[in-house]
Amino acid sequence: MNASIASATKTGTQAGNLSDAQTGAAAIRIRDVSMNFGTGAARVQALQNIGLDVGRNEFVSIVGRSGCGKSTLLRIISGLIPNESGEIRVMGHEIDAYQRHRRFGFVFQDASLFPWKTAAQNIALPLAILGQGNRAARAARVEALLRLVQLDGFGNHYPAQLSGGMRQRVSIARALAYEPEILLMDEPFGALDEFTRREMHDQLIGIWRNKPMTVVFVTHSLSEALYLSDRIVVMAPRPGRVRAVVDVVHPRASDRAVRQSPEYLAQLNELEALLDEA
Amino acid sequence: MKPDIASDTPVAGPFGSRLRSRMLHKLVDLGPALLLFVAVGVIWEWSVRFFSVPQFLLPAPSVIVERMIRMQDMLLQNLQSTMTAAILGYLLGTGVAISLAILFLYSRTAERALFPWAITIKTIPILAIAPLLTIWLGFGMAPKIAIAALICFFPTLVNTVRGLRSVDRQSMEFLQVVGASPAQTFLHARLFAALPYTFAAAKISASAAVIGAIVAEFTGANVGIGTLIVSAGYQMDATMLFAAIITSSLATIALFYSIVLLERLCLFWPEARMDI
Repeated sequence: MNASIASATKTGTQAGNLSDAQTGAAAIRIRDVSMNFGTGAARVQALQNIGLDVGRNEFVSIVGRSGCGKSTLLRIISGLIPNESGEIRVMGHEIDAYQRHRRFGFVFQDASLFPWKTAAQNIALPLAILGQGNRAARAARVEALLRLVQLDGFGNHYPAQLSGGMRQRVSIARALAYEPEILLMDEPFGALDEFTRREMHDQLIGIWRNKPMTVVFVTHSLSEALYLSDRIVVMAPRPGRVRAVVDVVHPRASDRAVRQSPEYLAQLNELEALLDEA
Repeated sequence: MKPDIASDTPVAGPFGSRLRSRMLHKLVDLGPALLLFVAVGVIWEWSVRFFSVPQFLLPAPSVIVERMIRMQDMLLQNLQSTMTAAILGYLLGTGVAISLAILFLYSRTAERALFPWAITIKTIPILAIAPLLTIWLGFGMAPKIAIAALICFFPTLVNTVRGLRSVDRQSMEFLQVVGASPAQTFLHARLFAALPYTFAAAKISASAAVIGAIVAEFTGANVGIGTLIVSAGYQMDATMLFAAIITSSLATIALFYSIVLLERLCLFWPEARMDI
């Protein structure tokens, strides 16, 4: 129960090395995954033969209009929805086997913090549930995470006492608390205003640069996907399928000049065209 | 890039000078009600005297108060019996309701089997079942406790079931992602989610329990506010009726506000406090 966080991380790294030997570089490997909801006449094919590889420490965004199954795909990867057909490997393991050693980081659209817990208690919750570290180690970890998301001094605030952007940062800190190798984000900034959103983009890039990890980021904003990711997966609805996978020309170019460059704008246009076709 | 919180973040806690100003606000809020209460009393007193209304029809407030003071020992003795039954029944009914709600959470079969019975209990007219319970349980405390418990049971059950299931989907998904056990899910999420719902019902039940105990005393009891009301009714003693009604009302208000106080202690987080 009181195994320190450091040792827990070490075990995780060993698991990682093991899978490295088995399957090479892909953090997430998706083959022929299909998903149907409902039965009979009401049967809807949510996902059709999805194939996708996400590399180690790669930042991949999934874009598409609502109903294209992008959130469903994220939930299948994380095991929240059981996979019906096809194959998914996470760090070389089946999802169940992977989750015996490691947990995904998951950031939801609504920060989905518990209103009866303070920011610090919310961040500490997964550590308590996973039994990582003793009380003092957890408190130190929470302090470090609050600093990481630039919320030092707000640990004792309840979610209702924080702004939308601050709540989402607490939510990110909570997902990072147990040092996941893979961070899944489901439209995490969708409910925020444009300015807060941009601040969050730079913070997220900062966090990722500081400690790179595999990120799968679901969004319906093309500019957001283009700003954050290495690769963008464009999905099409009815049935949900991968329309195209685009390599970003200038990944994470926070430089304004780059965002005005012809290549960047051309890529934005290209993506828009792909979405319109979809 | 320190976030600016001045604009949209209420920071201060519930204590200190804010508490005092809140109490002042409460007093200002209560002002009109208190004034009206006093005004009604004065008009009542004056009308009864001016129109010479006979006492068996409508006693003046001063007469009622005088009688309450004179007979306070007798009133308190009866009140104690009624309130003991009401509170014990309240605890019993609420306790069983909460236990069943938790059982229903983990066993759909139990819910399907027992919920129709809960509805049946709800539909039984309390006044009709009271004599039956007296036959079964005698003239003592037992039938009073039973009726009070029955009356509290249903609203608390329904609300608690709903509250325990009110954790939003994404929060449940989060707990699933980090691998929380059912016990952890209950302790960290469901319990707190249910509290506002349970307390909403528990506040209504507090006054219902007293009514239940009094109704039980109508049909068979040796002591209690209900027996006082019945015998005063036979004797056409309006003053005694008013004295009994006021005594039980004051006690019910006290019980209600004890529950409100407990609610304030239990619902400590800001979101829950907004609707108290």
